[in-house]
Amino acid sequence: MDHQGHGHGHGQNPSMGVVGNGPQFPYGSNPYQASHMTGSPGMVVASPGTIQSTGQPPSTQLGQHQLAYQHMHQQQQQQLRQRLQAFWANQYQEIEKVTDFKNHSLPLARIKKIMKADEDVRMISAEAPVIFARACEMFILELTLRSWNHTEENKRRTLQKNDIAAAITRTDIFDFLVDIVPREDLKDEVLASMPRGDVPVTGPPEALPYCYMPPQQVGAAGVMMGNKPVMDPYAQQTHPYNMAPQLWPQPPPPPEQQQSSPDQ
Amino acid sequence: MLPQEQDRFLPIVNVSHIMKKVMPANAKILKYFINFITGEASNKCQREKRKTINGDDLLWVMTTLGFEDYVEPLKGYL
Repeated sequence: MDHQGHGHGHGQNPSMGVVGNGPQFPYGSNPYQASHMTGSPGMVVASPGTIQSTGQPPSTQLGQHQLAYQHMHQQQQQQLRQRLQAFWANQYQEIEKVTDFKNHSLPLARIKKIMKADEDVRMISAEAPVIFARACEMFILELTLRSWNHTEENKRRTLQKNDIAAAITRTDIFDFLVDIVPREDLKDEVLASMPRGDVPVTGPPEALPYCYMPPQQVGAAGVMMGNKPVMDPYAQQTHPYNMAPQLWPQPPPPPEQQQSSPDQ
Repeated sequence: MLPQEQDRFLPIVNVSHIMKKVMPANAKILKYFINFITGEASNKCQREKRKTINGDDLLWVMTTLGFEDYVEPLKGYL
């Protein structure tokens, strides 16, 4: 039995199967330099007009970008906290100044009506709608403030629906509103990412035939799958409506295929 | 307000129309807020075998549901 040259004698790569022969990279780092994308290694674009050389590998730059993003995010959060603190302090001062408790920005009768909509509610004290009127006012102000924060984050000056949706999503105490204000921008993204078929659809979706086929039988018309000829699902279906012939061309029924048995 | 001064501002109807575009569910949100708080206050009253929802119940519920910032300013209304 020849022990010598077992790895080399048969034309094999000497490093084949050897662990730790190549350069060691830390877990999660990219060993390749994407110079065509990032420029020369160690270059960071500081502003649209200037390029600074840092002499650091791209992985370090990525870390710096993440740190910068986190720092910016923390600043925004801190700014929001400061605004909210000022807001609540202002609300407290305003209520201390109030002398006339009869004038309210929201109608008390309407508030009472909404409260009475709950079947379990029997009686309501006189102060309850008054408290709700002021609470609703503060609620609108807080929601608007949080929404405006999102508007400014996106460098806009117009409050939009998605800002309110973002404020609701980000704030835990507004969770009960999640179903009421849908994220329309999120829905649009989902719709945009859906693949579209080649068939031009001219009618409403209800008018198109729907047929569920089990996964093991999916195939083209007349193809043999699992010793069973698979038919076109639309060929077996009677259409109670007039379909355009160019939309769903009806293929002719597949010819009977003779199967040869193995014992012949 | 003087007529000339009034002409320098946009009509309030137009402004409110723009605001409604931004937040059409404004009234809806408030309705749900009232229902949300009232429902919990009603449960509290049922547990304590009382029939009337009062201001203290609302403030207690607001504290429980995370709206504790609202409570201090609203105590002045009790």
